[in-house]
Amino acid sequence: MAEPLDMTERVLPAGLQYQPTPIQLDEKVKAAKAALATSIRRSVYAYRCDLGGCNGCEIEIFGSITPVFDTERFGVKVVPSPRQADVLIYTGAVTRAMRMPGIRAFQAAPDPKIVISYGACGCTGGIFYDNYCVWGGTDKIVPVDVYIPGCPPSPAQTVYGFAVALGLLDQKLHATTDVEKDGEEAPVLHPGVPYRLRVALERTARQMAGYRYGRDLVNEFMDVLEGARYDVMGAVDEFIRRCDDPRRREIFVALRQVVDASVVGDVNDGRR
Amino acid sequence: MLKLWKLERKTGEATVAYPFAPLPVNKDMRGKPVHDAAACVACAACAVACPADAIWMSVDPDAETITWNINYGRCIFCGRCEESCPFEAIRLSQEFELAVTSKADLHDQAVYKIQECSVCGRPFAPRKEVDLARRVLDQVVGSAAAWQRDVLDVCPACRRRLDAQRAKASCDAANAAVLLEAIERDAAQAGGADAAGATDAADGGTSAEGVR
Ligand code: SF4
Ligand code: SF4
Ligand code: SF4
Repeated sequence: MAEPLDMTERVLPAGLQYQPTPIQLDEKVKAAKAALATSIRRSVYAYRCDLGGCNGCEIEIFGSITPVFDTERFGVKVVPSPRQADVLIYTGAVTRAMRMPGIRAFQAAPDPKIVISYGACGCTGGIFYDNYCVWGGTDKIVPVDVYIPGCPPSPAQTVYGFAVALGLLDQKLHATTDVEKDGEEAPVLHPGVPYRLRVALERTARQMAGYRYGRDLVNEFMDVLEGARYDVMGAVDEFIRRCDDPRRREIFVALRQVVDASVVGDVNDGRR
Repeated sequence: MLKLWKLERKTGEATVAYPFAPLPVNKDMRGKPVHDAAACVACAACAVACPADAIWMSVDPDAETITWNINYGRCIFCGRCEESCPFEAIRLSQEFELAVTSKADLHDQAVYKIQECSVCGRPFAPRKEVDLARRVLDQVVGSAAAWQRDVLDVCPACRRRLDAQRAKASCDAANAAVLLEAIERDAAQAGGADAAGATDAADGGTSAEGVR
């Protein structure tokens, strides 16, 4: 039924996307690289290599060398040629056209070198992963040391990624597997508000404020509904009165009208 | 020179202290999507919504489990998953320190059991989803909800069969009622006017025939 899935990522059936053989490092280079990671005491030079990205990643790389994040504090400097580079930053999903330039940049940089896969595209192909003309990630063509996810990674993410690459900080993310426990129950959200009213409130809030902020607002509103013990409408009015942001207030007033309508509906036809 | 110093003092330090101090971030920042495995019911709404296919479900028919997977290396931090999740089980956090040295660490998963159909015994939907639907339906009044509650742990194929049987039963009941009514009417007419007998009895016969 389902095609076999890779443990760590969804892969396309081999017939749909060509899988190239990545360059392998020989033992001497590996040893030199291990030594480099522990003994590096100088500034590192980075060469940025765009293998078919949208340039969002480039903008953030340049964002991280601006005065605000200033990676040159740590001696990280972007250089214009791979021959000067210690670090190669690959962005983009590796398009067919850019595969050879990517490999040539790798070969031009002196060993030992650190390779960083930058952005969702560099890590896995990102949103373009199943495109017919991409190879889906830097590690399909060259060996990668550090993956920096993000689309694009923010300058802070970039700084952190460099710190991980240079062995200054440890990585925080680790693969996890949660297994459902016996009798585990997902909670019904806001059980105190009748179901149909809840749906109507959520719909109104999302129409007015979008899915995320609409949900935040309707949650606040339903907390008030549930928190009120006797005078529900009084509590709602007090809540609206205390709200000083006119945009939020407008939405809360609309939600109050929904509650009003449902109460009147209750009296008139006995439905909830 | 003095002017420059003055300007410098006025401007202050532009460079942030990060990574030596935590970086202040907006509370609505779109960082790493955090999955609350206990609140998730494996409904796959996020997997359908995810434009980059960073979230996907995989089913193991032998173990009767469904697995929720995410690859942070493919995620584009768009927030569609949190928008589509009906149960607030996934939310983009302020966590941005995601760089890893091994690609496998970009992967998280959560394994859920699948409910077996109470009629045919085949697995058909995540157990937690069925369980949550039952508790939501408990809050809803009305006969439609009552019927739904009755067939909650029945798979769609069996449910169709049950629906058909229910429809047939109600048709049969209605037909029987019509038949009964016709027979009673005939009996009443036959009792009331014996003389008109022959034609009326024939009529009653055809109407009963038609219903059958
Ligand atoms: S990861 Fe995102 S921002 Fe970077 S190149 Fe790819 S699409 Fe553009
Ligand atoms: S934020 Fe967007 S890309 Fe990332 S997992 Fe959610 S839906 Fe997918
Ligand atoms: S949409 Fe929410 S409840 Fe459904 S599978 Fe995704 S995280 Fe779980």
